[in-house]
Amino acid sequence: MRQLGSWPARAGVGFVRACVVAAVSMLVPAVWAAAVALGIWWGAGNPWSWVAPFVLVAVGTLALSRPVCRMFRFLVARWTATVIPAGYRKAPPVTQLSTGYWWNGFSYERSSRDARMDQGWRIRWSDPANWRDLRFTAIAPITVGVIAAVPPAGLAGAVIGLSQPALPARALGLLGLVVAVAGAPYAWRSVEPVTARFLRASPAMVLADRVEELTAQRADTTVAQAAEIRRIERDLHDGAQARLVGLGLSLATAEKLMETDPEQARALMREARSGAATSLTELRELVKGINPPVLTERGLVDAVRALALDSPLEAAVSADVQLHLDPPIESAVYFGIAEVLTNAVKHARATRARISLTRDDTGIVVDVEDNGRGGAGLRTGGGLAGLRRRLAVFDGILEITSPVGGPTRVRMMVPCESL
Amino acid sequence: MRIVVAEDLYLLRDGMVRLIEACGHQVVATATTGPETLDALLTWRPDVSIVDVRMPPTQSDEGLRAALAARAELPGLPVLILSQHVEQLYARELLADGGGGIGYFLKESVFDADQFIDAVERVAGGGTAMDPAVIAKLLSSGSSNRRLGGLTEREHAVLALMAQGLSNRAIGERLFLSESAISKYTTSMFGKLGIVDDDNNNRRVLAVLTYLNEP
Repeated sequence: MRQLGSWPARAGVGFVRACVVAAVSMLVPAVWAAAVALGIWWGAGNPWSWVAPFVLVAVGTLALSRPVCRMFRFLVARWTATVIPAGYRKAPPVTQLSTGYWWNGFSYERSSRDARMDQGWRIRWSDPANWRDLRFTAIAPITVGVIAAVPPAGLAGAVIGLSQPALPARALGLLGLVVAVAGAPYAWRSVEPVTARFLRASPAMVLADRVEELTAQRADTTVAQAAEIRRIERDLHDGAQARLVGLGLSLATAEKLMETDPEQARALMREARSGAATSLTELRELVKGINPPVLTERGLVDAVRALALDSPLEAAVSADVQLHLDPPIESAVYFGIAEVLTNAVKHARATRARISLTRDDTGIVVDVEDNGRGGAGLRTGGGLAGLRRRLAVFDGILEITSPVGGPTRVRMMVPCESL
Repeated sequence: MRIVVAEDLYLLRDGMVRLIEACGHQVVATATTGPETLDALLTWRPDVSIVDVRMPPTQSDEGLRAALAARAELPGLPVLILSQHVEQLYARELLADGGGGIGYFLKESVFDADQFIDAVERVAGGGTAMDPAVIAKLLSSGSSNRRLGGLTEREHAVLALMAQGLSNRAIGERLFLSESAISKYTTSMFGKLGIVDDDNNNRRVLAVLTYLNEP
């Protein structure tokens, strides 16, 4: 909050704020009061005269709830440091189909304007944030509104009371003035905790966001997996398979030449042997890229130690305990560390790195720090963005601090059960 | 020589037994799981054993652990470890006890029967034999890069072959140089690296490997 100088200034600003808060929170109750007044004016005895006020209350509340909530968020963000995300559902883009019609995710419309309007209404109507907003508009007057109304009410009382000649009325007016001035700096403040508590995302909204996030992740994973399988297929097709064909050919030729030209046959067999060794090397590299054998044999910590030993960096590994995690998580973390180390060598030109693996109450925490030149960041399609995506599948988080000039610190956190 | 072969894949085990017997050695026992391996090593106390890293029941590093356990019981028991992949991590664990009689090779090293049997015999004699792939990794790691910067290309090559466990004569044959030329290289190399030269070939190899393994 801004530090306001003198006490009168604080009281003045507080008074204005209290008035604004009271006015905004009383908007919806004002509509209700107007409806009741209308009903009474038309004749309280006739039940039909209540239909129009009822419609007014329903439409008025629904229409005002969102603007009122927006105003509260705006005021809180402006006056305090608390920023509350709105969390309304966003409209996906409308697309024109080959038939010329527009599709908005719900229905086909003749024009893009119609499609957007229809979509807007549907999303507005089905947004889980509506319930939160309605609840807040009901809560705000009795929590925030009543308190914020104290200073203006006190001032009003003071004006009325002091204009009266009678002594008790004047005393009451004076009391009102004291209340108004003393309460002004504080009366509006309940707006922050109440707004933060009741205007944050509701469970239904959190769930809707989560579904959206998971849908995107599933699509990502499917695409990444398909690409990986294609890469493996291509590697096998161009590498080991082709070599085995060549090997069979050499052996077949050698068999033919055995009688007529033993020297040539022996050379071919030597060639076949070296071909077999080369395909084994290729297969080993391929297997290492799919699932490093040392990970299966020793688990994550030793696999990371092996990785550090093979790295051109001087990498030190510290791990407090032997971690036993689910194999998919182990694999994701292992390849994550491998990626970070590769970046440290290739892009940051580091010579040393420190890797630490620890676990806390919620999961595993991996820190990798190098002495390189820094400047690493998440770029779309880059290695780190891919890493973040792979960790996100397990609800893992990737944090990068990499000022230009270094050092780079990467932290991966993956929640997991203790096994 | 009396040899124990521990390998769970039938084809490989059978092939290795035939190769060993063709070279005039005797396979006294075979094992197909980790516990069986430990058992066979302790009961037969073979002149040398050939052990696969990954074996049942857990399909993790059963074989390696059995070999290490047997060597803890019988220090210096010669063991040659075979694997589909080589890891510096495993090489360090095997060399950690400082005794000789250790070999660590990729499975395809059996393709070259002569060199394979040569390695088996070296390990049986208490020597050290390392796959070139292990040594290559060792020599290219971060700390080695820094410390081996001062070596000439030739000295580097001699160091790599020495670390594999070859004697000066064998290194000379590989590089087409005389034995005395090699010993000149080794002297200057040891001087640069600050390692004490030792006449015993195995102790020398261990000194080199320990030096390279220092973090």
